[in-house]
Amino acid sequence: MQWELAICMGKYMATKLKDTILKGAIYTSAVITVGLLLLILGFILIKGLPAINIDFLTRMYENKTTYVSVPNNPSPGDNTSEITGYIRSIGITIGINDENQAYVKEVDKNSMINQGVDSIGNPYIIEKGDIVTRIEDINIKNELSGIEGNTEKERETYLNDFIHRVDKKTETFLTIKVTRTGGGIIPMVVTTVYMIVLSLAIAGPIGILGAIYLNEYAKKGRIFRGIHFAIENLAGIPSIIYGLFGSLVFVKLCKMQYSILAGALTVSIILLPIIITTTEETLKSIPNVYRESSLGLGATKLQTITKVILPNAIPGILVAVLLSIGRVVGESAALLLTAGTVARIPKALFGNSASGSTLTIKAYSLMKEENDLTTASAIGIVLIAIIFLLNIVSKFITKRYLSKKGV
Amino acid sequence: MILKDNAVESNKGSYRISTEYLKSNMRRDIITKIIEFLFFLCALVGVVSLIAIIGFVFYKGLSPFIGKNAYSIKEFLTGTRWAPSEGLYGIFYMIVGSVMSTIGAIIVGVPLGILTAVYIAELANKRVAMIMKSTVELLAGIPSILYGAFGLGIIVPFLMRISPRVQGQSMFAVIIILTIMILPTIISLSESAMRAVPRAYYAASMGLGASKMQTIFKVMIPAAKSGILQATILGIGRAIGETMAVMMIAGNPTGGLPSSIWSMIRPLTTNIAMEMSYASGRQSDMLFATGVVLFIFIMIINFTMLKIVRKDS
Repeated sequence: MQWELAICMGKYMATKLKDTILKGAIYTSAVITVGLLLLILGFILIKGLPAINIDFLTRMYENKTTYVSVPNNPSPGDNTSEITGYIRSIGITIGINDENQAYVKEVDKNSMINQGVDSIGNPYIIEKGDIVTRIEDINIKNELSGIEGNTEKERETYLNDFIHRVDKKTETFLTIKVTRTGGGIIPMVVTTVYMIVLSLAIAGPIGILGAIYLNEYAKKGRIFRGIHFAIENLAGIPSIIYGLFGSLVFVKLCKMQYSILAGALTVSIILLPIIITTTEETLKSIPNVYRESSLGLGATKLQTITKVILPNAIPGILVAVLLSIGRVVGESAALLLTAGTVARIPKALFGNSASGSTLTIKAYSLMKEENDLTTASAIGIVLIAIIFLLNIVSKFITKRYLSKKGV
Repeated sequence: MILKDNAVESNKGSYRISTEYLKSNMRRDIITKIIEFLFFLCALVGVVSLIAIIGFVFYKGLSPFIGKNAYSIKEFLTGTRWAPSEGLYGIFYMIVGSVMSTIGAIIVGVPLGILTAVYIAELANKRVAMIMKSTVELLAGIPSILYGAFGLGIIVPFLMRISPRVQGQSMFAVIIILTIMILPTIISLSESAMRAVPRAYYAASMGLGASKMQTIFKVMIPAAKSGILQATILGIGRAIGETMAVMMIAGNPTGGLPSSIWSMIRPLTTNIAMEMSYASGRQSDMLFATGVVLFIFIMIINFTMLKIVRKDS
């Protein structure tokens, strides 16, 4: 009897032990999952935060050098002023920064700068912070690099001398060579926005109308299953293959070259399954009572769809749109082969100047070609912020509109 | 619809009204038919796209193996060196790299994912479950190049320290990153599968005296088997198709079968992504051929999934 009791106790303890181990494994897994997210987010944040500043978020990417023609307004009389570096004839103040470059410190309100024109004839307004490398024949850049020492006094001396020479100039127009520093992500942001808008414009209507067909009109037969089969397969294709297809058909065969249109067309095929499945589920969740009552009141099927079903499906369609936006923002492989890697705002839909790099592509090029993990992580912070925002809005819509279903 | 006419109106008048009514009805019907056809066409776009993708990729990808100057398929599939400048295109070592790293990711990721799903579905209280679900969703939403950045910034240096080789880029790094990437898929699908198991199973098992752990592992998980299997297969598909995240951490050598997890590998996907921007002619065709091989793997995976789904219903 005692033997049996002992065996029983033994079995019980063994089970208890096993259960504890399993429970431990479960908790460990959960902790690992959360830990991984924190690790990844933390790394991106720590690596990228130092590079985030107003300049990063608002400037163009490439440095831009322009020859600006500014009307010269030399005023007679005493041209020395209290402010070092103030050029009265044009109305700007020059300073010298720590890298020994001359830059625009201040621009007067009524300065002649506002009438500046570039070499083609387009208006170009020099801004605070632009680096000045040359005024007429005075090559500031060379002169500054020739100066020994970096003290305040020496800078002031140089500036005063420099201003003196500029004031002596009597030409009607002064040609100033300025460089606007880049380092910002504006072109990539704009390209990403273009990409989102274009691909949604293509995939949205097609997806929604297709989902309407599938849910409202299709008979549950071979066509229905065939379309669903195709949609599911499309969803499973890796994006690099979409890239291959896009580069072959849109970039080369349709002669669009690397362009946002080629990228948008490729991405719109990727978005199609997302929009169709989400919209179809939304339509399915609309109670049949709505349809029946509408038809019973004499509306045609089409009228029912446009006036009854679609308005009710809007929250779900919004969720589909948000999911798609998230997908476009994160897409890289397909766009790498269709939209190119040039960091600029695309000036056309297709053709020569239509290529542009989105945020993700730029992050990739930074990592691959310049090994610049910091700037790439900074772009990553922007990306994660966008994804986070989309998630929150999508959750809000789901909670508010999609939970009050039912009649 | 023929209007009933009152005795006052002449017959001709009522017929005129009714034919106009008929005409406007017909017009509306025609427009409706056109619009409904439009709906149908939109639904077909998906099918057309799929056929087009398969058609074009296969056409370009199979072209180097047909006709004169054909490259031998056997050489292509069993060669272990990729040297376009010498005319050598062997992708066997890439296939091995892709497959092995995927298997590695599955071995680690599936148990991890299922256990976490169990936690969310069964063990966590409501608030913690919601936080976990949001965590998983956020993980799923992170763009893949950021995983690549994470890999490059943390995983590779870490591996460099413990690896017997000089470099940190290796199959090990790829396996780690792929595991992290397929986790959200596996967790969310497994969790849905487990939530779909009828509560009666749980109640019955507990009622018979089983402990919670025994119930979960011997009753609930087997009941959710097909959903979990679907999740796994989707994870496999994702892992084998991942490009950007692994491109910077795999090493991408031009040849050589991986001999250990510390070896560098060149997955099929990164081969395409790396060379496509400057490849032309035969090399470009060969990249499409690599895509065809990748595609065939994906199709096998998809078919397996379909068979499991069918077997279930």
